[in-house]
Amino acid sequence: MTDKIIELLRQSDADAFEVTDKVTEGWEFYFIGHKLDQNRAKEVEHIEVTVYKKLEDGKFLGSASDEIAPTSTPEEAKKIIQDLCQRATYVKNPYFELNSKNVTVETKDYGIEKTARDYIEVMQKIPETSTEYINSYEIFAEKTTRRYVNSEGIDVTTTYPSSMLEVILNAKNDEHEIELYRMYKAGSCDKDSILKEITDSLKFGKDKLIAKPTPNLNKTTVLFSTKDPVTEIVTYLCNKTHASVKYKGYSNWEIGKEIVEGVTGDKFTVRGLKELPNSSNNTPVDSEGAPVYDMYFLKDNVPQNFWGDVQFRYYLNVKEGCIIGNYCAEGGTTPEAKLREGNYLEPVEFSDFSISLIEGTFAAEIRLAYLHEGGRVTPVSGGSVTGDLNELLKNVKLSKEQKQYNNFLVPSVIKMENVTVAGSEE
Amino acid sequence: MMKATFSPYLKSIAPGIKEFIKELSEHYDYVSVLSSDSKGFQLTVSQRVKAIDGTTLTTEKGSVVRVYKDGLYSEYSFNLFDPSKAKETALKAMKVLDAQLALLKDTGSTVYWTGKLDDTPQELFTEMDTTDLPEDADLSALVDKLQKFSDEGVASSEEILDCSIRAASTHICKMFLTANRDLRQSYVISEGAVTTIGARGEKSTYGYSGVSDREGPALFDRMGEVVKNSCKNLDDALGAESIVPGEYDIITAPEVSGLIAHEAFGHGVEMDMFVKRRALGAEYIGQRVGSDLVTMHEGANCVKDVGSYAFDDEGTLAGDVIEIEKGILKTGVCDALSALRLNSKPTGNGKRQNFEHKAYTRMTNTMFDKGTSSVDEMIASIKYGYLLSGMDSGMEDPKHWGIQCIISRGYEIVDGKLTGKVVAPVVMTGYVPDLLNSISMASGDYESFGTGYCGKGYKEFVKTSDGGPYLKARAILG
Repeated sequence: MTDKIIELLRQSDADAFEVTDKVTEGWEFYFIGHKLDQNRAKEVEHIEVTVYKKLEDGKFLGSASDEIAPTSTPEEAKKIIQDLCQRATYVKNPYFELNSKNVTVETKDYGIEKTARDYIEVMQKIPETSTEYINSYEIFAEKTTRRYVNSEGIDVTTTYPSSMLEVILNAKNDEHEIELYRMYKAGSCDKDSILKEITDSLKFGKDKLIAKPTPNLNKTTVLFSTKDPVTEIVTYLCNKTHASVKYKGYSNWEIGKEIVEGVTGDKFTVRGLKELPNSSNNTPVDSEGAPVYDMYFLKDNVPQNFWGDVQFRYYLNVKEGCIIGNYCAEGGTTPEAKLREGNYLEPVEFSDFSISLIEGTFAAEIRLAYLHEGGRVTPVSGGSVTGDLNELLKNVKLSKEQKQYNNFLVPSVIKMENVTVAGSEE
Repeated sequence: MMKATFSPYLKSIAPGIKEFIKELSEHYDYVSVLSSDSKGFQLTVSQRVKAIDGTTLTTEKGSVVRVYKDGLYSEYSFNLFDPSKAKETALKAMKVLDAQLALLKDTGSTVYWTGKLDDTPQELFTEMDTTDLPEDADLSALVDKLQKFSDEGVASSEEILDCSIRAASTHICKMFLTANRDLRQSYVISEGAVTTIGARGEKSTYGYSGVSDREGPALFDRMGEVVKNSCKNLDDALGAESIVPGEYDIITAPEVSGLIAHEAFGHGVEMDMFVKRRALGAEYIGQRVGSDLVTMHEGANCVKDVGSYAFDDEGTLAGDVIEIEKGILKTGVCDALSALRLNSKPTGNGKRQNFEHKAYTRMTNTMFDKGTSSVDEMIASIKYGYLLSGMDSGMEDPKHWGIQCIISRGYEIVDGKLTGKVVAPVVMTGYVPDLLNSISMASGDYESFGTGYCGKGYKEFVKTSDGGPYLKARAILG
């Protein structure tokens, strides 16, 4: 059907077009405890089409997108394309050019059965006890073959694997039972890594059972050492240099101008990477047909490149670039052990941790934290941690060591001063 | 008003799907198929960029078959169905599911045994009323209208950098077939949202407002008012200070009441969580969890909004469940398989993100009942506290009844009067029964809000709405 759609697009009034055809095979297994709740499989194809129309002698470029079902008849596809050509005239965006450099990539096949098997087997090996154990888990293994074609001569097909494991962990004592939520994503299953991560998480569960209410610490030193806060901070930095964010006015960062003044701590150097080992985002070409390559976003807190969609890069006059799905924040000069000296709060479990792209602020409920005080470590729970990165980035310490979370390679810990901690003590 | 006409495509594949079910019934003890054909559009208009897309979160075209044998339910999602090749598709589905069972056997996995779903005969054909259909909308005129609203928003203040408007409308058609059941429904949902971005000095922030209903694109006639609300919310946020963390008397605006309903007890009484022993609520049925003023409904029938439909994604008719009545926890909501496992009744809450996803117990519309107080009386009753307005996000914690709500703004109340001082953002945390037991007044207002999405954990996003009246309570803010 895709070839027929391309033929119809070439015959249509479209001045340019893009077609993305994704064929996905997926295996899913849902467990309650270690008993199978349900097994699922999927075999689906999605064909997305975007048509472009030049407007006002090429000053503007209109576009419209839709999905054409793979079961559509040629007549139905033709009607959708005609409608898209009309709709594209309704939205006048500044002119830009699609990617035009065709690339050849090596295609590999991936076995989703092997990935699913590995997840099932590793979950059976988790060292559970009568007080720390698995509540339930869901396994997803997928293989997607994506063909991208545009009117400028690109026709490239890539195949990539992706997988996900969602796990609910329980810990209990005589008084109550608690749960922890974990979601792991990767290209395929890394059994050793999963085993270690879940085993470590079971310890958090044990500590949460004995956690005391978080004291009201007001402004304090906070050490972030887990996936959510560390990758969220790096995501914020990446997004602030994204071309669409810059063009839409959600970022006031400028190439060559330091993002924060008066910095006394470490500065961030952040790169986009074509590949990270076993990342679910390893693709040689991006979703717009551009070859993916390594690129600096920030060097020592100074923006180097705006990156991302071709439309917004064109508007910012960034000729080279691509959409990158793997990110690396370089470590600092201080070993993690050194950063762990002194008094600080180490929140490790949140109900949700996200940073406002526009404001640079975060606010999250603490579900488990470790209060390091005078050489003692006390598990605490409740209250919230809030902060403003515009201020906090002035005094940050990054560990020398790095840790990988799927598509992120980041400092193993990030230490910040003057973070607001509201307690939960009566 | 007009009828949302049922999909000719689904009608055309129905005989083939029935043949497919017949083929599979030779091998399985229960077979059902949910087929969807939902079309729509999404427009985004701002000062910088515009877009038209024929897809929304709820557009889809495909089928999922559920089969049952030896205590196990298995599913196969597909969208390349040829009605003339029902037998081939059945063989394909069986082949991949058999391969999965071989893997499970090889790894020594055992089955969580579940009984067989009821398949007594049932028929339903519903084409719901709607103002209009997304496929008939004049998108050229609508883009122009939204652009005008965006321009007016930006022109209303020099501090406003952009006014981004999103309008989405979907004509949802679903068909649920088994050997004995034939359920078909067609309805339209629409939602519009306005985000205004602004700066004052060094501070940048945003204002948000939205509108939603189980109606057609005519809903977007109201976007002018939504833009004004969004601009006002931005102005308030730009002037906001940080809150001093502590415990306060609060009044929650209806959208914040809805967020509490959704996060506090909505997720906590999704009964698939009872099966997994993940919800504290299972142990509190029949017990007090809130004050006498707390009555909470959940169901596709309890209000008309984006969570309203005639039957769910497992073929259970829509309901209206009273979860909490005058402070007493009565029951939860339940999908069909969890109902079998709990020896309970399904409530019409089995929902999928789309045909490619598993069905879970999910919320539809979750609403607090209204009371008799006026908002002025509620404000007058507070010595020092905040009126909380605008919701950013929330997170459930059914196992421990913790609650986290990120609220856009708090309006200071001193000696029974709003002072004009605004704090933002506000994190409300606490223990759900403490919060609900502290509810001491409820207003006569009653509004639902459905511009957001609800996830199960961090995935499985579906449309829901929630709301209620203004509520007076006591909560920890930070």
